[in-house]
Amino acid sequence: MINKKSKSPYALVFTLVLLMAISAMIFTLLNKDVVESAFQPRSRQKSYIVVIGKSDYSAFWISVASGARAAAAEYNLDMNFVAPESEENFEAQNAMIRAAITGGAKAIIFSAIDYNGNADAINEAIAAGIPVIVIDSDVNSDGVVCRIMTDNYMAGRMAGEQAVANNPGELTVGIVNYDINSANGQQREQGFCDAVRESGRVKDIYTVNCVSTEDSAYEGTCELLAEHPEINTIAALNELMSLGSGYAIRDLGLEDEVDIYAFDSNAISVSMLETGEIDGLVVQNPYAMGYLGVETAYNIMNGHGVQSGKIDTTTIFVSESNMYDIDIQRMIFRFDDRTR
Amino acid sequence: MHKFSLAQAMTIIVVIMVFATVIIALIIFNALFRDSVRDAAVTSAEQSVDQVAITLDNYTADMTDIIDRLYVTSVEEPERLTELFADLIEVRRDVVMIATYDAHDNNTGIWSNYQTKDMIYTNLSLFSVPADARGGISISSPHVVSCIENYYPWVVTITKSADETFSNTAKIAIDVRFSSIAGYVDEIGIGQHGYCYIIDSEGNIIYHPQQQLLYAGLKNENAELSNLSDGSHIKDDVIYTIKTLDNSDWKVVGVTFLDDTVTERVNTMATVTILIFLFVVITAYISSSFFSNLFTKPVKKLSNAMKDFEDNASGFVFEPIAGSVEVSQLSDSFEHLVKRIQQLMDEVKNEETTLRKTELKALQAQINPHFLYNTLDSISWMCEEGNTEEAVLMVNALAKLFRISISRGQEIIPIKKEVQHAECYLQIQKFRYTNHFDYEFDVEDSCKAYLCNKITLQPLIENALYHGLNMIDEGHIKISIREDGDDVLMSVADNGVGMSEEQIEELFTQDVTDKRGIGVKNVNDRIKIYFGDRYGITVESELDVGTTVNIRIPKITEDSAYDK
Repeated sequence: MINKKSKSPYALVFTLVLLMAISAMIFTLLNKDVVESAFQPRSRQKSYIVVIGKSDYSAFWISVASGARAAAAEYNLDMNFVAPESEENFEAQNAMIRAAITGGAKAIIFSAIDYNGNADAINEAIAAGIPVIVIDSDVNSDGVVCRIMTDNYMAGRMAGEQAVANNPGELTVGIVNYDINSANGQQREQGFCDAVRESGRVKDIYTVNCVSTEDSAYEGTCELLAEHPEINTIAALNELMSLGSGYAIRDLGLEDEVDIYAFDSNAISVSMLETGEIDGLVVQNPYAMGYLGVETAYNIMNGHGVQSGKIDTTTIFVSESNMYDIDIQRMIFRFDDRTR
Repeated sequence: MHKFSLAQAMTIIVVIMVFATVIIALIIFNALFRDSVRDAAVTSAEQSVDQVAITLDNYTADMTDIIDRLYVTSVEEPERLTELFADLIEVRRDVVMIATYDAHDNNTGIWSNYQTKDMIYTNLSLFSVPADARGGISISSPHVVSCIENYYPWVVTITKSADETFSNTAKIAIDVRFSSIAGYVDEIGIGQHGYCYIIDSEGNIIYHPQQQLLYAGLKNENAELSNLSDGSHIKDDVIYTIKTLDNSDWKVVGVTFLDDTVTERVNTMATVTILIFLFVVITAYISSSFFSNLFTKPVKKLSNAMKDFEDNASGFVFEPIAGSVEVSQLSDSFEHLVKRIQQLMDEVKNEETTLRKTELKALQAQINPHFLYNTLDSISWMCEEGNTEEAVLMVNALAKLFRISISRGQEIIPIKKEVQHAECYLQIQKFRYTNHFDYEFDVEDSCKAYLCNKITLQPLIENALYHGLNMIDEGHIKISIREDGDDVLMSVADNGVGMSEEQIEELFTQDVTDKRGIGVKNVNDRIKIYFGDRYGITVESELDVGTTVNIRIPKITEDSAYDK
């Protein structure tokens, strides 16, 4: 009798101990980081992450890299920024993704040159268990953890609304767009067209798709204006398109006849605001993209998760009248501007 | 209410104690650790901020020194000024542009290593100097240079306003590249995530390593810091360290996050403690079962053994119990106790038996003289009457009677002898009470070899003669002996007056005082002592019809007699 009775609390104690042991194991497994730090407190290795951009010489991408570097320093990560020489070369990007997989990257922050062309390589990375965060330009993959980018449609609309506001008369619009496979360019074009059409003062819209280089944009603009000399408003949809169009207008001497609404900024396009070739710049926040991309990667790697699958970064509209406002100065002139 | 065994109670107590200790240790550790980490963090933050402030002060002191010397030169040797400006921009790469202005703020000259714009739409490097500026020198907030073709470096403008004597030039402005200062501030980290930034006296941010994030609204900095005095201030696990510069109204702010360093280490500590805790719990569990084997189980065995001993003291056999020293001692003592008690019990039993035997012998001895006197009386009476033949028979019978009575001191004799003894007695009595009664024996031959107590029949016959047949003329006594299963049944029957229930009862209870009743009780007692309670005498009697006394004894032969 006594023996039987005494067995049940024993079993209880044993079960409790077992449960605690199991929960402790789960706890420690889930907090691998904690255990690692418990046994090698200070000599922890930095996690390696890769940021793959679309270019490494435009002001936009320099700023992305600088934001990424700031976040990497803050979160103590080993960050490597890579980008193809040409903003057209998505195969080079795919090679970089694969190099990142074999290089043991703990996260990839990626901006796609080609929405579909980069998809396979990105899926390989996701299959290898590497979290992928997209910045600036999306890629056709469901496995992306977080997308950090400008709302490109709204950015296009912003430019379109300014174009309408600055010209009370009839508008004939020329659009200088880049790679037709780029989702960003298409969304901006859509936003711009929608905004100007809503004014009801649009006569015609002509589009030229160029290769993403200054020269191609220059030629494209010249051809567009030669074919349709009545064009009085041009939308140049990225940094290189802006420069090409600006130079074309300068060379053709059409500063006063044609208004250019351009995207992104660098020293030259900002100067063109003063000299009049360009009438407005839609400036994104590439620094924030780089910073938030790395910060999100850090949060994912440390099991904090992401608040939402999509983060919109802000855009501002810069014209000659506000370009030297102190806040705008801070946004468009980078401290580490290396264009010279 | 549960009853806990010793080992369980021990386990529970140990677990609770360890748990409490761990929790308390963790709390104390956390508090102490937080304090010490905070002190260390404050010290390191103050050092870093001091370093930034000193660097910035040196830098501005250097620049104001340069501009002062330029001014002196411009007063003393105005013709050398152009040459000096050219040298300065050549030597100091951090000087982006030097500009001079007349009293109406018209630009009178620009020196720069970069190509200036053909047409300057806006000049951000033109500042007015407040009248109360120290040495007539003011330092601007950071801004970009708007006068250079396709280049917009961030600078601070150091402006020196001249007095009247400085003819054509009323102001000298030097644009000093800010990125070297900014780079320095960027590089200063405090703790793991800490950083420095610069504000002016109104709290506007002059420079912040993450200003892009601040301006984009992705990050916020505490706006109330400009109201705080120099030194360290702790708010919500963040340490703000503030230091105002000597040469300007700028303040350097250091931001350190207490939480991540402390929390990380406390987590580490917690993990280690939990592991220790688990280890202790498991150890406690194992040791408690070990303890139970060593102590609790033996004690339980011992208590069971005691219970067994209680139930069956004489037949109990104690097996020593293994265990700790204490348990072994207990076990040994108990074993000793058991042996002692059993020994005492045996002694008591033996003594009692001996006592009874002695008593019996004394009783037997009592019979003889009483009967002897009567018989000797009869014999003398016979001799007196000359009845010598009968006297001889009587003497012979008496001799035989005594021979059997004595039986060499043996208590147990064969039934055959007992029957002879009874016959002798009856013969003697018959001589004494001539023809008053007759008797017969009905003895199965098979019974004659079995043993019985000596002098069993005689007292019963005596009782029948004196008690049953006293008033009767034709008395008859029948003695029969036969087998009854494993027993031998003897009976003495008379046709006397019989006895009432009370009289029968008296036969078995009366003490030694009544000389007639003694026989039956004596015989009964002896049978019971020798053969057990199952055996003994029963009496059947009917008034005026007769009495039958039955004696039941076991079948015992000569061989088994001494086993008892």
